[in-house]
Amino acid sequence: MQNVVFGIVTGSILAVATLGFALVRQTENFLNIAHAQMMALGAFVGVVLVDTYGMNIFAAGAITVVGLGALGVVLAAVFFAPVRHQGGTVLLFTSIGLALMMYAAILALFGTQARFYPDVSGSLHRIGGIGIATNELVIIGLAFGSIAALQLFLNSTGLGRAIRSVASNDDLARVRGVPVRTVSHTIWFISSAFGAMAGVMLGVLGSVNTEIGWHNILIVLAAAVLGGLRSITGVILAGLLLGIMMDVSALFIPTAYRPVVAFGVLVAVLILRPEGILSIQRRKDAVAA
Amino acid sequence: MELVLDAVRKTFGGVVAVDDVSAVMPQDQITALIGPNGAGKTTLFNAITGFDPPDRGSITFGGRRIDSLPPWRVAEMGLIRTFQTPVGFTTLTVRESMLAAATPHFVETPLGALGLTRRGRGHERVAEGRADEITAELGLADLLDVRTDELSAGDRKLLEFARSLMAEPKMLLLDEPAAAVAPANIGRLSQLVRRLCDERGLGSLIIDHNLSFLMQIADEVHVLDRGGLLASGPPAEIAADPEVMRVYLGTDGAGGDGP
Amino acid sequence: MTNPIFWVGVLTLALIYASLAMALNVESGWGGMWDLGIAGLLASGSYCYVILTAGPDLDMRFAPGLSMWVAWPLAALFTGLVAFAIGAPALRLRREYFLITTLAFAEIIRQLVVIQADFTRGTVGIPNINRPFDSFVSGREYNYVLLAIAAAAAAVMYLVTRQIGVSPFGRTLRAARDNEAVALALGKRVNRMRIQTFVLAGVLIGATAPVYLFYIRAISPQLFAPGITFTVWTALVIGGIGSIRGGLAGAFVLIVFTEAVGLIEVDPAHINILVAIEPFLVGLLLVLVLRFRPDGLFSERTAFGAGGRSNSRARDPRPAEPAATSGG
Repeated sequence: MQNVVFGIVTGSILAVATLGFALVRQTENFLNIAHAQMMALGAFVGVVLVDTYGMNIFAAGAITVVGLGALGVVLAAVFFAPVRHQGGTVLLFTSIGLALMMYAAILALFGTQARFYPDVSGSLHRIGGIGIATNELVIIGLAFGSIAALQLFLNSTGLGRAIRSVASNDDLARVRGVPVRTVSHTIWFISSAFGAMAGVMLGVLGSVNTEIGWHNILIVLAAAVLGGLRSITGVILAGLLLGIMMDVSALFIPTAYRPVVAFGVLVAVLILRPEGILSIQRRKDAVAA
Repeated sequence: MELVLDAVRKTFGGVVAVDDVSAVMPQDQITALIGPNGAGKTTLFNAITGFDPPDRGSITFGGRRIDSLPPWRVAEMGLIRTFQTPVGFTTLTVRESMLAAATPHFVETPLGALGLTRRGRGHERVAEGRADEITAELGLADLLDVRTDELSAGDRKLLEFARSLMAEPKMLLLDEPAAAVAPANIGRLSQLVRRLCDERGLGSLIIDHNLSFLMQIADEVHVLDRGGLLASGPPAEIAADPEVMRVYLGTDGAGGDGP
Repeated sequence: MTNPIFWVGVLTLALIYASLAMALNVESGWGGMWDLGIAGLLASGSYCYVILTAGPDLDMRFAPGLSMWVAWPLAALFTGLVAFAIGAPALRLRREYFLITTLAFAEIIRQLVVIQADFTRGTVGIPNINRPFDSFVSGREYNYVLLAIAAAAAAVMYLVTRQIGVSPFGRTLRAARDNEAVALALGKRVNRMRIQTFVLAGVLIGATAPVYLFYIRAISPQLFAPGITFTVWTALVIGGIGSIRGGLAGAFVLIVFTEAVGLIEVDPAHINILVAIEPFLVGLLLVLVLRFRPDGLFSERTAFGAGGRSNSRARDPRPAEPAATSGG
């Protein structure tokens, strides 16, 4: 049971990170490999603010999330906007290039030494024999709070509805006069902010090192594919499921296999239930070709 | 030998696209399939060629069931189709497209590519000769070294047809072969289709909206409407059928002037 | 730093990356299979070779101590088998999902290497890998031997991949990449050809792996992180996806450029910057090429377009090719 709780914590962080990733996938139509480097950057910026400048963890977290959200908007304008017309594959490889550059920036700015947030775990609560630390409760609360806020924003504001219409059909949205630029900036802000937030949370629970990005990109991809890249609920469930599976599997097999479990699940899902990818594509080819 | 459809039915999410169609199409004659847009013509093509197998009913060619075979198996049996939108092999030249269509599968292996097997060595030379002949006949000879995505829509349409002839067909399934083709070339096309049938016994099943083109070359016409077979018979009979003309004139006005 | 031995090393590394990029081009450029699992295939070939040739002193659970000349082809074959195991299920997926799956498989392979420490020595790694002709040539001079081995490997890779490219097999592969439906309608066994191509690329990458090891001299799982996959891809993108010479040219530009910039004197206090230079340059070059020259230095068009194709056939040494009748 204890591992299920760990899994829920891991899963909430994963859900936050994956939502940011899936939002870009749905609206800009490409897999943004650089997303996980935003997580790594978030973890580092947060730890520097807290550890080096002695800032309160919540203030540091807020500054990190807002600052990196803004950085995400700038990066998208510089790197992705100019090649947008070339389609998903060029965008995807551009995001690999950007990921490498962000990774290099992290190496150059923060060095290869692992860093740690000061102990902010707080007191341990016991609920029916299961222990959960205050910081873990806060993480779960913040994760679901932000997801709920995003849900509310998408459903009940004009801009949110515009984003959803872009997600469902870009061309139609443009014809209807949706402010495409504003929508795009907002999407990148939210996506990057969610990535940075997940990075800070990961850092608080463990250690901060330069490889966070590369370690997490596949887990995020796995959660995104499992969740079907479409619905927010699907992504949340996939994140929680993967988190719990990774942590519960530690009971039966060595913890070293933790990432292998996630990738194994990903491969199994892709191969056993590829969302009717094959049949739909065949039909499209036959009609269009 | 003949292509036989027996109670073929195909639905998409509750919408019946092809509804219990039965027909016999001899392999050595020209059969036309006409009908308004959305009548199920291309759906039927996709069902026959294995791209979208039917939900019910059977399809046989030369007495062998083909309705559960993958597209490449159907093609290997000699049923070669063309496509309505002539995209083709975008980055290949006309010559390469023609030769690719003619290459037998036992040549298309990594070992064959590296010259480690001897099978099919002389094949390429023979195929080049045939490609020259066919492209000359269709007026594509000047375009042999032009990439497919640089051809005009009409030339790409002719290439669709030319390419299918390279694949050693026993029967052709042509999806709107005359659409977008220049009027002068339509004459060449219909002569060639007719001659292949008369001289070599290579028949076709043709979908097209150009009725004057179809009525000139077809031996038999099937009329499809809303997924079902409305009428079948020789062109003259079909042209005189008031029910057919009512259905057809409703959507495709000027085309109905027959032979 | 600028002594000739340094540049011999740079050239050797460039030739190794060129070999990998040319192998990648067969499956991704012509086959249209966007494989992000190069690192996994390279790891399979490398560990297969290392384990088969390991001496008893390393205390590994399985160490048959084979001769390197036996282990080399076995490593290539083993990598082909791994490629088949990955490709058979993954090739049912569309481009984007195929890409994720191959990336995931590569990571699984790397994690398995870490976990199966009894066989692979895990994160400890294996130092002092045996190299051919090591006993005849000593020290510095060996760098020239290594350069010759890498050059020979790259030359063989070039000839093999070019032959694939200009053959009817390569032509149909490109045809199926351009339009799968039309290829199927002409009776092409598209899926089988793709699996064959994927396995062939695996064999070629596995055959290159020992050369990489001769250069690196010590092996550990960290070598096979996704970074190496991205570097090979960058080399191919710079050179031109789908062209015959692209991988060769792209790898030279990329490796010489990054290594030359690495020569810049950096204050030891800023050692982090030195570490960061390589990924930064690889990333920057990838972004710039995609933006300003998406076809790369050599495009597929110049490789197979009208004139290019008949020229490459006319130069073809094999008499059975119908060069005389092509008329082009």
